[in-house]
Formats: sequence, C-alpha cells, structure tokens
Amino acid sequence: MADSSFTLFDCSLVRLATGRSCTNLRELLDALRTAPLSVLEHHLLRCPLEDHFELYEFPNDLARWCWDALGERQLAEELALVNPYTVGVKELRTLLVNKLEDRLWALDRVPWCRPGFELHLLESRLISFDTGERFATLASLAQALQGLSRRSLFFHVHEAHARCGVDDFSAWVERTGGPPELIDRIRAIDFYFLNLNQLRRQLLEAFCAQLTEPQVVLGAVR
Amino acid sequence: MTMLECYEEVVGRHEIDHLRRLGERLAGKRMIHINSTRKGGGVAEILEWMVPLMNELGIDARWETIQGNADFYKVTKSFHNGLQGLPVNLRAKDYELHLAVNEANAQQLNLEADYVFVHDPQPIYLPKFTAPGRVGRWVWRCHVDASRPDRGVWKHLAGALPAYDGAIFSMPAFTRPLEKPIFLCPPSIDPLSDKNRLLPESERLATLERLGVDPDRPMILQVSRFDRFKDPLGVIQAYRLVKSAHPELQLVLVGGPADDDPEGAEVLSEAMESAGNDVDLKVLMLPPDAHRDINALQRSAVIVLQKSLKEGFGLTVTEALWKSKPVIGGACGGITLQVHDYQTGFLVHSPAGAAYRIRYLLRYAEKRQRMGQTGHEFVRENFLLTRHLRDYLSLLLCLDNPGMDVLAA
Repeated sequence: MADSSFTLFDCSLVRLATGRSCTNLRELLDALRTAPLSVLEHHLLRCPLEDHFELYEFPNDLARWCWDALGERQLAEELALVNPYTVGVKELRTLLVNKLEDRLWALDRVPWCRPGFELHLLESRLISFDTGERFATLASLAQALQGLSRRSLFFHVHEAHARCGVDDFSAWVERTGGPPELIDRIRAIDFYFLNLNQLRRQLLEAFCAQLTEPQVVLGAVR
Repeated sequence: MTMLECYEEVVGRHEIDHLRRLGERLAGKRMIHINSTRKGGGVAEILEWMVPLMNELGIDARWETIQGNADFYKVTKSFHNGLQGLPVNLRAKDYELHLAVNEANAQQLNLEADYVFVHDPQPIYLPKFTAPGRVGRWVWRCHVDASRPDRGVWKHLAGALPAYDGAIFSMPAFTRPLEKPIFLCPPSIDPLSDKNRLLPESERLATLERLGVDPDRPMILQVSRFDRFKDPLGVIQAYRLVKSAHPELQLVLVGGPADDDPEGAEVLSEAMESAGNDVDLKVLMLPPDAHRDINALQRSAVIVLQKSLKEGFGLTVTEALWKSKPVIGGACGGITLQVHDYQTGFLVHSPAGAAYRIRYLLRYAEKRQRMGQTGHEFVRENFLLTRHLRDYLSLLLCLDNPGMDVLAA
C-alpha cells in the first residue's frame, strides 16, 4: 500500500543573467515583447524566493522596479495586480505588453531609472528534491511548518500551483480525507500577494484551527 | 565536530540537510578549483572553506594553483584592473606571456576532473591547452565587476571563453553578454570566522578601550580602504552635520594600511587632516589581520556606514548586517542589493542624506533594533557561505541538465 504521508520537498534556485537590462519603460516594453518566457516566469513567479521583507509592497519584480526605480506609480499599481497564476505565461506576455503600451501612450516622457537601478533580466532553474521527511498527521505537518525553509514553502505552494494548479498541502489533506474546511481555508489563501513568512503564518493558522490542541504546535514556535 | 556540524549551529539543520541532499547527487564527482594563489585575497579565503566542505559532502574536490613569474603577475594585475574598467596599456608580448604561462601550467597540473572551476583571469586559458576529454565541464568564475572592461583586455580574455560551459558572476550588474550560460552567485561571509563570530563581551570592551572609543556613548562606524570611492570625507561631513544635535556621538573610520597605494595614503592624510583634533573622531589604521578588532568595532557601533560612491559587492555591509546593525549605504553596486530603505537601513546619495538618516536612526532605537534583526535574518538567508555552497552545488546539477528545471529526487 502506498505511503499516504506528506512528502516534504525542498528546492534551490539557480539564477542566470541574460546579459540584458532595462533602463527605461520603453526598454522594458521591448523586453516583454521579445525576452524568452523563462525571463517572464522568473520575474513574475519566482521572485517571492528573493523577497525577504514583511512590508514589501509588490508581489513581482516588474511592479517593484516601476515603483522604486522609475517612480512610475500608476503602472506599478497595475502590474502589482497581475496574478500570473490565473493566466498562462503566453497570455501573460500579451497582458503585460498591453499594460505597458497603454501607459506609454498616456505619458509625455519615457520614465528612466538612475544608473545602478537598472532592471537586469534574469531567468532561473529550480532544483527540487525529496528531503526524505514524511508527515503522517495534520499535527505533525503543522508542527513542521514552523521550521520549513522558505524554499520548501515556495515549492509546495507557488511551484505546486504552476505544476498542477493547486498547492501540495491542501491536495494532501484532500487525498487523505482530511477536513473540507481546512482544504477550503488553505485554498483561500491569497498566496501570490503574501511573502513567504506571511504565507507560513496563514498556513499555520489554517492548520491550527483544525487541531484540538493547537497550543502544542504553536507552543513549539515560541 | 565536522565543519558542517559547526555551521549547523548557525544556519540550522534544514540548511545543512539541504546541502547533504544536493551533495548526494554529486557524490564521487571530481572537482578542481584553480586560482593563482593559496594565500591572500578573497578567492583564497573562499576556497579555504569551500574545498573541505565539498569534500565533507562527498565530492572529490581539490584546489590547485597556477605558477608564474613576476612578469606574469604584473600582466594579470593589469588584467584585473582592465576588467574593472581602468584603462591599461599592454603589449602583444604581455598577452603572449599570459598564454605561455597557461600552457606550461596546463601541462604540469593534473586536470582530470568532472568539473573545473577557473577563478579569475590568471588561469583562464587553461582549457585551450588541456587535452580534450580530460575535463567534463569548465566553468569560469569571475569575482570582479567586468561590466565595463578595458577593450583590449576583454578581447584577449573573451578568446578563452568559447571553451567554457558557463561563467559565474557575483551579480547581474557585473556581467557581460556571453554566448554561454551566465550563472549568478553573490559572495558570502563566514559566520564562524574571526571577523564575524560572536566575541566575549570582555574582549569587545577591551578592544574599545585600546582603540580609544568610549563604550558608553553612541559610535557610528565606516570600515573601508582609504579610497576616494569610499568617500571617507563625506562620512566626516555627515558626522559633523549630526554632531551639533548629538554632541555625544563618536565616529570611527577604520581601514587597512595603504603603503602600496599612493592614492590611499593621500586620502588617509586628507581624512586625518579633516578629523583635526576632534577627540570623538577616530581615523584608525589597523593591520590586515586585525579581524577581531574590526569585529569588536562593528558589534559596538549603533549604525554602520558604507557611504561609497562606487562599490563592488560591499561585504563590509554584509558583515555589519550580520551583526544586527542598520546600515546607511551609498546607493551603488552591491549595496543596493543589501540595504533596503526602512528594512535593513537606508540608501543615501549625499553627506546630507547620510546625516539625515543618522539622526533618524539615533532618534528611533526600536527601529534600529528592528532593522538590525531584519538585516541579520536577511544575511542568514542570503549571504552566508552555506548559501554560496548551495549555489555551487545547484549550478553543477544545472550544468549536467542544461535548459531544464531539474528534479533531483
């Protein structure tokens, strides 16, 4: 009989420079039109692995660059709302290009960044592997959530969505006949708009709401 | 206790388990690192821990160095400067000497391996003179900013690159467009080295006393060479702008000896002249191995400055963040990757900007503390040697599986 435990994976990101960078909005538009899809994927889907701050406002590199480096607030706000998990990567390119074209059309001058604040276009490879750790119960998985690497969280939520359209945690709860409220609650987490530490807290809250002794899990944190 | 077990106490079990898992995929692979010296310089410091840690993970790693005469090292010093954008004047015979020394070393060294990492430009032509099939994959590791190199130097060095399977640079801004994969791997600090390890409180206080710093008054610090690009005079100006509002404030500027750098001696003398007889402003020249003194000063500062006008990665910033200090840094180079406004410190663009942020941070002790904690965690996650090792192992797996995400289950 197959092991029904939760299989914990971890991953690491290998970043590659494309040798191409943008200094203004027109160059970004050109890059969005012509760069490989892997570049869009890195800057929209994998950037949470590089976002370390609780208060960082934007979920993707493009919005962040427009806000911080170009001072292009309106476009940054629009790009921040793009959720790459709700559209395919190819449609994503069209969507982004349209947003930039609209904005450039409305502007008198092309916004530029200062030297040193260029957007360097990157792509990445994800190396993922089985850690060998298995969790058979909700409580043990909840307890493990405290100490998981941020990369594990990314793999089981963000990467899982890209892989199969749903996160690994709720998929496991569903597969093992766990509480439907927990499945709903995990799937309701707006993960793309959270950083990984915020995501960890929301997952923990969802699990602990289902446990008879959540203080045992939460106590382990403190 | 093994080296990995020592680091486990700093970075946690998961991080070390992660390395072991990656290591399992590469167990038994033969790897050689080649550079030009075993003593001195950042590359040798990295290889001193990198090679034994790789061996602990089951990789058959070796460290080789190339040999050359004084003329060779003069030429390669020019390469180093030229790569970083200084104009250099080299003749055809200098380039020929570089090739000849590489050829001689290729014949003498045992380069049979699955992966060879060639560090910096000195040994860059080894692949050209190594018999095909002896090395599985060649990787060139460039440790400097090569984004705007001298044209002649780059033309010569680029001639070696077609033989490589990939190159590694510290950050995207340091790269040049290449036909090969360009991996990114920022540098790192060793949390257990003398410069970064925890110090006994008694040692910290004794160091302050010996260096004439009052432990009971706030001190701001800049650790850097006396170099115009580090803007020590701008730091003094910022300190003076704050001093009237905070008469208790002390400033320490600390750097290494500048005997071999005429401009460094000049900048030092300007800094000392500018300091005048202000007893609260210390310009200190410490020996190159005064790592524990630097450590004590960094741990004693309330704020660390790195007000550079031009910077490489800025490992002094990393060291300060690791010691839970907010950093006020010039908005240039790798400082922009490490200093994030209101998170780990502030980026500034002028002495006035630095002064304003010093005043801000002196006023809000709890913000200093929070930024310090964020900075410490930020470094733990991104700039410790365990991350550096993980990057190297991961990119080896990438090289073996080009163009695809790898499931190393």
